[in-house]
Amino acid sequence: MNLKISALDYVNEVKNGNISVEDFVFATIERIKKIDGSLHAFLEVNPQAVENARIIDKKIKSGTKVGDCFGMPISIKDNICIKDSKTTCASKMLENFIAPYDATVISKLKEQDAIFVGKTNLDEFAMGLTTEFSAYGPSRNPWNPDYVPGGSSGGSAVSVSAYECVASLGSDTGGSVRNPASFCSVVGFKPTYGLISRYGLISYANSIEQIGPIARTVRDTAFFLNILSGLDPNDNTTIDLGKQDFLEDIDSGIAGKKIGVIQEMIGEGIDPTVLSATKEAVSKLEGLGATCEDISIDMVKYSVASYYTITATEAGSNLARYDNLRYGYEFPVEGYEFNSYISKARTKFGPEVIRRMILGGFVPSSGQAGKYFLKALKVKSKLTKEVSEAFKKYDYLVAPTVPILPFKIGEKIDDPVALFLVDINTVIANLTGIPSISIPFSISNGLPIGIQLLAKHNDDKSLLQAARALETTVKLPEVPI
Amino acid sequence: MVNEEEIEQVAKLMKIDVHDHKEFVEKVHNMINYFDILDSAGVEDEEFQIRDLPLTHLRTDRHIPYEEKLIERLKHYKGTFVRAPKMI
Repeated sequence: MNLKISALDYVNEVKNGNISVEDFVFATIERIKKIDGSLHAFLEVNPQAVENARIIDKKIKSGTKVGDCFGMPISIKDNICIKDSKTTCASKMLENFIAPYDATVISKLKEQDAIFVGKTNLDEFAMGLTTEFSAYGPSRNPWNPDYVPGGSSGGSAVSVSAYECVASLGSDTGGSVRNPASFCSVVGFKPTYGLISRYGLISYANSIEQIGPIARTVRDTAFFLNILSGLDPNDNTTIDLGKQDFLEDIDSGIAGKKIGVIQEMIGEGIDPTVLSATKEAVSKLEGLGATCEDISIDMVKYSVASYYTITATEAGSNLARYDNLRYGYEFPVEGYEFNSYISKARTKFGPEVIRRMILGGFVPSSGQAGKYFLKALKVKSKLTKEVSEAFKKYDYLVAPTVPILPFKIGEKIDDPVALFLVDINTVIANLTGIPSISIPFSISNGLPIGIQLLAKHNDDKSLLQAARALETTVKLPEVPI
Repeated sequence: MVNEEEIEQVAKLMKIDVHDHKEFVEKVHNMINYFDILDSAGVEDEEFQIRDLPLTHLRTDRHIPYEEKLIERLKHYKGTFVRAPKMI
């Protein structure tokens, strides 16, 4: 069974009767059993997956209408709720939490007959960019298991890269879909804020985070956007772009388009091989008929501080609900005073979550808000203006997704500020709400490099066309696992 | 420049017990100090936008019945109350 096929090829193979859903899903589960012990992409594997596949095969044989996914095996980041399934956020705090409802994205995938093969690993509550902050141990990069796979949707990216599923859903608050996509050599997409409902995504920083697909190809990404996008009465931040077919005209190319190369993202601190790959990408974009010019976005250098100030503030508020009273782990209340009980219960949070909660209490507090939180909002506002100005002149912006190569597990875990700076190229899409995509572009010393393209608000379809054009110029080796 | 006492006070207000005290405070300290870069952004005169959401954009405020008794999923409940530690 060829588990390496794209989502669109999978659909065609099943439609044409060349493969059965049961055989494909069974082979997928067997692969997970065989290799996930060394990669740790999954926190839980769905024991019903093969049975669900049989049901879809029966629907196909009986001529009953089948959804667009045709039983496609998909993995889901473990901060997205699937009814009656464990949703742990990779935290001991939610070790036994069973979601009482489906996230909107899950409902939409169920309607299209997707099969969920399992829940994937992440940094605890999506706070991190290496998956090392998972309370259940790190995921490992399939290109080299000694290296981080990126994060926080590291398990999702690993599962797609290592052929443990056809596609996955992650969440992207500051690059958490694009960063691991880049490190694992798969496609990761952060849509315009509001294009995909966040209902059922466990909140970290509501004002900037989005659910996004991780897939093998840009065309697969467009396929999933067709399913996942749209207004949701349960999420008032969703936007109405009308009925768009993101796959239509995806091969229309970028001839005549203007692209800005963000200088602040290829400057100080960039790995030389990443810089070289970026120059090669720019050359290829020009070869496709686009015009590329250098552009400066001054606020980029303050964007990481702004991002962490805003996200910590929102996290401090969002995580206040974890008092172990309404849900949480087994810990009797007898013998405790109210505040000491909550403090004791919260020792189940990992160190990074604790740090960000304290930051989230500090930066908006009386006497500090003007210096930190309000200034962060002002940077966000000015950055948004600068990016809007850039899009008056350019159709797209380009930069490396991450300025450095994947690094060894444990290498940066004790230096939070060094980890902050890995986010510098991805956070602007979240702070400004614009769409952004990471495309596998190069392999250097056996480690992947991704290129990031960005477009203006609501230009997700056009962005996919540009990404598809760049993708056609790239031929990469297969993952060595 | 933030000091240790301020970090400890915030941790207490956030109801968080801190282990590995010295290392923890040092890391938080470094993170907050990094945020000082915001001082050089030159945004003092910048206005920030607050998104206005018209009431008409909000969903209708109506009761949506939920089939399951969610309270029965809680660990410690009695009737319609959640059991909590004593307040004083």
